[in-house]
Amino acid sequence: MSEHNEQEEEKNKKPKIYNFLRVLFHPHDFLGILSEDRYKSLKIRIVLIEAMLSLLPLFIVVTISYFWFQQILKDDFKNQLKWELENTKQSIEFFLEERVSILRFITSSYTHEQLSDQRTLSDIFTKFKREFPGLVDIGVIDADGIQRTYSGPYRLAGADYSDQTWFNEIVIRSSNLSDVFMGFRKIPHFAIAVKREVPDKGTFWILRATIDMKTLQKYASAINIRENDDVFIINREGVLQTPSRFHGNVLEQYKEIFSFPEDNLSIKEAGQSEGTCDICGYAPIKNTPWILVAVIRSSPYAKIPNIFRNELFFITIISVFFSIAVTIALVQTVVNRIKKADQAREAAIAETEHAGKMASIGRLAAGVAHEINNPLAIINEKAGLMKDILEGSRDMQQNREKFLSLISGIFDSINRCRTVTHRLLGFSRRMDISHDTIDINDALKEVIEFLEKEIIYRNIRLDLDLKKDLPRVVTDKGQLQQVFLNIINNAIDAVEEGGLIQISSYSKDEHFVRVSIKDNGRGIPRDKLKHIFEPFYTTKEKGKGTGLGLSISYGIVQRLGGSIHVESEVNKGTTFFVDIPILSETV
Amino acid sequence: MPQTKVLLVDDEIEFASALAERLQLRNYDVKVGHTAIEAMGFIHQFVPDVVVLDLKIPGMDGLEALKTIKKLDPTIEVIMLTGHGDVLSVEEGMKSGAFEYIMKPIDIGELTSKIDKAKKKRINV
Repeated sequence: MSEHNEQEEEKNKKPKIYNFLRVLFHPHDFLGILSEDRYKSLKIRIVLIEAMLSLLPLFIVVTISYFWFQQILKDDFKNQLKWELENTKQSIEFFLEERVSILRFITSSYTHEQLSDQRTLSDIFTKFKREFPGLVDIGVIDADGIQRTYSGPYRLAGADYSDQTWFNEIVIRSSNLSDVFMGFRKIPHFAIAVKREVPDKGTFWILRATIDMKTLQKYASAINIRENDDVFIINREGVLQTPSRFHGNVLEQYKEIFSFPEDNLSIKEAGQSEGTCDICGYAPIKNTPWILVAVIRSSPYAKIPNIFRNELFFITIISVFFSIAVTIALVQTVVNRIKKADQAREAAIAETEHAGKMASIGRLAAGVAHEINNPLAIINEKAGLMKDILEGSRDMQQNREKFLSLISGIFDSINRCRTVTHRLLGFSRRMDISHDTIDINDALKEVIEFLEKEIIYRNIRLDLDLKKDLPRVVTDKGQLQQVFLNIINNAIDAVEEGGLIQISSYSKDEHFVRVSIKDNGRGIPRDKLKHIFEPFYTTKEKGKGTGLGLSISYGIVQRLGGSIHVESEVNKGTTFFVDIPILSETV
Repeated sequence: MPQTKVLLVDDEIEFASALAERLQLRNYDVKVGHTAIEAMGFIHQFVPDVVVLDLKIPGMDGLEALKTIKKLDPTIEVIMLTGHGDVLSVEEGMKSGAFEYIMKPIDIGELTSKIDKAKKKRINV
């Protein structure tokens, strides 16, 4: 049971999707849009689909190239930053190496004793400072960590460094570069110390110079930065060595969490959520505890040059405009063609339907007429016999006249029926068509002559426009004239007194001669127009027409291999067109 | 002048009997046949002057009956009766030697005048 249900559901699912697609692709069915609007909706749909197909890739390409370009700019910017960091790093390294070299030079040029002399040291300090601004002071420290001689703005002679980290370290190494510190001097500075071994005494002494932090800062500031960017130096513990714009002052802790790079310069890109920097550059400075840090937050690369953006925008707009214009033009053409084809097809179908309908109506009429005709003949004979008997005998004297008039009434009705059945049988009968070679104009003129009295009597203007030198046609003259007679008769009935009837003949093409019969009468409403060739269809008042004239004409023209059609406008008039084949092919 | 002998051939009994009676009232010697075979029998026995022959009769096609009659006695005139618009048959009948044709329902005056003409023609022949 459940399986059965599942199958049912499966069945129901499919049509749902199908219906959805149907609605999507045939919204006119869903919305009940018909006729003209159907083509409009088709146009809109095709334009939308086409536009989507052509514009989507365009937008994708534009978007991709936009971001691609942005990426290029970013990479470019990163490279530039790297290069600048590298440069600055090297400058700082060079600067420091130079300082160390000079201190080494001094330690190797002078003995401990010479430098212990305050005057000599002061002299060196003065010269040194002259050459290298930023030098704060200089001092000589002995192996016990006591500063024996000092030259500088502070009174630091005799200061004890033995318990300081740098001193312990320099005992092992030959030179040392300290972190920036405040020290006794209360200004941020760093110290470079160089150890000089005295091998013969088995001892050593140290020349130590302190340099203002500002010197370092000068290097860091050399990097070309923007408003929201920051460049500074930190040590390996993350303590700021130079002041920064946004990350605190000297000796404060750099709060950003990051893993310190080992040796090489590295550029890191952080997501927005991870930190305050978009691009961070870390350049460890060789032989020092320092790292040069660049924090870039202004993202200058994001500002794609206006020219590029404008061009991209311009090209996109032009492409969109063109593709939409071309699509609309194409769709317009295609849909109009479809519309025309549809209309032609509909017209052809209507034509076929009409012809088929006329044929079956003809058959039906003939069948009915035939079936009616035989009993009618019997009634006729019986009534005739009654009349004969009444006339021949002397019986029923008192009712004789009454009966005779009744019988005469029966004859009248039989005659009316006979007219109808005979004409109907004529409508459908297969006739042997005579082949007369005739001049259409002559045939027309004869018909008009026949109707002249009526035309003059009703004061109708007759306008003849018969082309001369029309090809002679091979057709059945009598029947053709019957057709003209019917149509012109109708025209006469249709116009008011003093109306106008225009009859013209001309070559329609190389196969047909056309006769048009136009009146300015009351016209035929659209809904009635399609019925006028049907038998018994009449708009004339009762008793005036049988409703067979046009249906018979239709049958005749059909048999002659021609065609008949009508155009009419209410209150303006009606025009009948009869196309007669020049060489009749009997149908 | 002797009575004109008319043979009426029609399968509609009601029609044929009434018409026969009317013709008799108008002083014609009338015999009625309802089928082609019946009619053929009368040709020999009755020897009609004029045959009024319906084109649609059972037994034999009206046209064939016409041809047979004409073969048996070419002087017998035949007036075709047609109840439908089969103009082709009418034309063929005329070609095969029929004297006239008349469409149902008929006008008795028209029929008698045609019979008389046919009789006159036969006498002249």
